[in-house]
Amino acid sequence: MDARNFTYMFYGFAAAWAILALYVLTLVARERRLRKELDTVRRMVEQRESKAT
Amino acid sequence: MREKTLFALGVLAAIWLVRNLYVMFLGLPDEADQGAIYRILFFHVPSWFVCFTGYFLAGAASVLYLARKNPVYDVLAVSTVEVGLAFTLIGLATGSIWARIIWGIWWTWDARLTWALITCLIYAGYLMLRNAIDDPTTRAKNSAVLCIFAFTSVVITYKAIDWWRTQHPGAVLSFRTGGGAMDPGMESMLYQNFGALLLLAAVLVAVRMRQEQMRREVESMRRYAHAI
Amino acid sequence: MHFLRSSLIVAGKDLRSELRTKESLNAAISFAIVILVLFSFAVDPSAEQTREIAGGLLWLVFAFAGALILNRSFARETANDCLDVLVASPVSGAALFFGKALANWSLLIIVELVSLPVFGLLYNMNWARSPLLLAAVLVLATWAVTVIGTVFSALTVNLRLRELMLPVLIYPMMIPALMAAMRLTTLLVGGEAVPAEDWIWFRLLIGFDIIFTSLALALVEVVLVG
Repeated sequence: MDARNFTYMFYGFAAAWAILALYVLTLVARERRLRKELDTVRRMVEQRESKAT
Repeated sequence: MREKTLFALGVLAAIWLVRNLYVMFLGLPDEADQGAIYRILFFHVPSWFVCFTGYFLAGAASVLYLARKNPVYDVLAVSTVEVGLAFTLIGLATGSIWARIIWGIWWTWDARLTWALITCLIYAGYLMLRNAIDDPTTRAKNSAVLCIFAFTSVVITYKAIDWWRTQHPGAVLSFRTGGGAMDPGMESMLYQNFGALLLLAAVLVAVRMRQEQMRREVESMRRYAHAI
Repeated sequence: MHFLRSSLIVAGKDLRSELRTKESLNAAISFAIVILVLFSFAVDPSAEQTREIAGGLLWLVFAFAGALILNRSFARETANDCLDVLVASPVSGAALFFGKALANWSLLIIVELVSLPVFGLLYNMNWARSPLLLAAVLVLATWAVTVIGTVFSALTVNLRLRELMLPVLIYPMMIPALMAAMRLTTLLVGGEAVPAEDWIWFRLLIGFDIIFTSLALALVEVVLVG
C-alpha cells in the first residue's frame, strides 16, 4: 500500500472515530442521567399519591 | 425497537465496518497522486451522505408532525438531527484533514464548504432552540418549522458543486455524472461504507429516540407530581 | 383583497407604534453609525481597501442593526396579551406576518438610507453613482433579511433568551442573501459596473426572496396559531 501521507490519513480516521465515540459517550451519559431522573420523579409521584390518598 | 434487535444491528454494523476497513486498506488499488490520504474519502463522502439522509428524514418528520401532530414524529426529528449533526462534524473534520494535505490549507471559503458549515450552524441552532423551549407542544411545533427552513441549506450544499465553480472536487459519482469518472471498485466501497455507517446511524437514532421518549415521560410525570 | 388590506393595516399599526417612540429605530441607527465610526479607527482603511470592503462592512452593519429591529417585531406584542388578540382576530397568520415584515422592511430601509450618507462621508465614497441598481440591491436584500428575521422572531417570541437566540438562528440562514448583497454593494458603491458573471448574485437574491417568502407564508400560521 502506498504509504505517502500516511500520518494524516491516520489522523483523519482517528478524528472520525473520536467524534463518533464522543457522541456515543454523550448518549450513554444522557441515558444514565435520564434513568436517575425517572427514578426520582417516580418516587416523587408515589410519595405524593400516597400522601393524597 | 427492542434492546436485543438494536444490539444485533449494532454488531452487524460493526462487522460490516471492519470488513470495509479490511477491503479499504488491503483490497483496493492505490490512487495515483494522493498517497494514503485518499482513503479518508471512504469516510468523508459516506458521512455526508448519512448526514444528508438524516436531515432529509428530519425534514420529512417535521412536515408529518405539522400535518398529523403525532409526537413520535417530533421525537424522530430531533434524533435524526442530532445524529446527523455528529456525522456533519465527522464530514467537516475528515474533509479538512484531507484538504490540509491535498490543497495545503485546512479551510477555504468556496461554495461547497461554506454551505456545509452553514448547514452545520443551522442545525446546531435547531438543537439550541429545542433546549430553549420548555412547553413540549410549542417546542415540537416551532422546531418543526425551523427544521423545514433548515433543509433548504442541505439542498443547496448538495447542489453547490453543480451551481458554482468550487475548489471542492466536482461530481464524480456515477449517479451524478453517468459513469466513468471514478474507479468502480472505489465507488462501490463508498456505497458500502455508506450502508455500514447508515446502519450505525440508524442504531444511534433508535437509542436517541428511546431517550427522548424517556425524557418526555419524565417531564409529564413531573407535571403530574406537581399537580397532585 | 383581504390579505393585502389586512397586511397593510398591520404594517401601518407597527410603523405608527414604532415611529411614535422611535425606540428600536434610534437604537438601530445609533448602532449602525457607531460601528461605521469605530471601524474606521479599527482598520484605518485607505481608499483602495475601503473600495474592497465597502459591501461587507455595510451589510454587516445592516444585519446587526436589523436584528435590533427584528427582535422588537413580535416581542412588542407580548405585553398585555396583544399577540393572542392578534392571532384570534380575523387577520390571518400569513397577513399578520406579511404586515410585520413590511413594517420591519421599511424601518430597516430607513436605517440604511441614513447609514449610506454617513458611510459616504466617513470613507469618502460616492455611493450614489448607480442609484437604481443599488436601490434594487437594497430592496431585495433588505426583504431577504426581513423575511427570515420576522419568521424567526415569531418562532422565538416566547423564549427567555430571545435576544440571543434570534441572531444565532437568523444569521446562518441569511448568509446567501448577505453574500450576494455584499458582493453587489461592493461593486456598486465603488462606482463600478456589474460584470456579466456577477449578475448571478441578483438571480440568487431574487430566488432567495421568492423561496423564503413562500416558505414563511406557508408556515407562519402554524407557528402563531398552532
